[in-house]
Amino acid sequence: MEQLTNLIISDDELDSITHVLQKLMNDTSATSVMLLDKSGQVISTQGMSTKRNATSLGALLAGAFSSSRHIAELLGEKDFRTIFQQGVHENIYTTMVEEQWLLVIVFDKLTHIGLVKVLSKKTSEELVNTLERVRADTNHQKSSVLNIQFRSSVEDTIDLLFRD
Amino acid sequence: MALINIATHEIHCKIVYYGIGFCGKTTNLQYVFKSINPSVRGEMLSIATETERTLFFDFLPLDLGTIHGFRTRLHLYTVPGQILYERTRLAVLNGADGIVFVVDSQAEKFEENVQSIAELEMNLRRLGKDVTNFPLVIQWNKRDLPSAVPVAVLDRYLNRRCLPSYEAVASAGKGVYATLRAISKGIMMQL
Repeated sequence: MEQLTNLIISDDELDSITHVLQKLMNDTSATSVMLLDKSGQVISTQGMSTKRNATSLGALLAGAFSSSRHIAELLGEKDFRTIFQQGVHENIYTTMVEEQWLLVIVFDKLTHIGLVKVLSKKTSEELVNTLERVRADTNHQKSSVLNIQFRSSVEDTIDLLFRD
Repeated sequence: MALINIATHEIHCKIVYYGIGFCGKTTNLQYVFKSINPSVRGEMLSIATETERTLFFDFLPLDLGTIHGFRTRLHLYTVPGQILYERTRLAVLNGADGIVFVVDSQAEKFEENVQSIAELEMNLRRLGKDVTNFPLVIQWNKRDLPSAVPVAVLDRYLNRRCLPSYEAVASAGKGVYATLRAISKGIMMQL
């Protein structure tokens, strides 16, 4: 199979992701739920607490997660597939969706970690199906977005913005 | 892997600046941060030690604006250059769409540069990237220093793949944007 250089998320798939994240947030009473790509890019964020700093949070959470996987390797552990960060008011639980995405749940003391663990596992399984569809669909969608006009305009923009 | 969100009309790409300690990776990002139109850049994030050495990464998001209906964003990262942070470099490389390899041109840094580019290629293979096809540009930095090795020599030993390369003095901003333009276009070509 050709190696994908990008993932294209359609309107329908984003709707389905938003719905799944919203449901997880409501069922766990979490303050925010995010879906990140492993590179740190934000795919979707629900809830107020993460909205303002979503870009920086994405970079830091993905970095921390990637780092923890290397710790696992050094310890001879097969994998750390989740991270739990515990604070005085807010907690963060991060779990993998296959090898591509990260599901992040931000919650306070009103929510029990056990509930987050169980429901996030279920959500993660649903998102695996979405990810499979996105992967399968990416090549079909590609030509509609990345056409010659786009490529030429993006080059002009790069020349315009990145000049000495 | 670049992310294209049709629903929100956004394209995100990740660029990583790689190279040995003190070669000028953070300096490249700092120059872009202070010189680019403020409406293009987001907040720069640095996870550094008390002595300002990069501990984990620096992060600078850039927003190129809306291009053919798509808001195009580039996320610039640096890795920590010191040898002991090898695993951290691998963690930051995860998901990169393109890499700038920053070379410290000084003669006394030559061997370290050679080891670092070999490590980069190994890390790309570990991440399952096809190194012959992956967007990569080289920046010959610190060209103003008296012990700078001639570019032809650096090119012979560090650029066997004949990748696009640019001379720079990042502290003065020279070559910073030429490098950024090249890697950005390289990534867009591969999308």
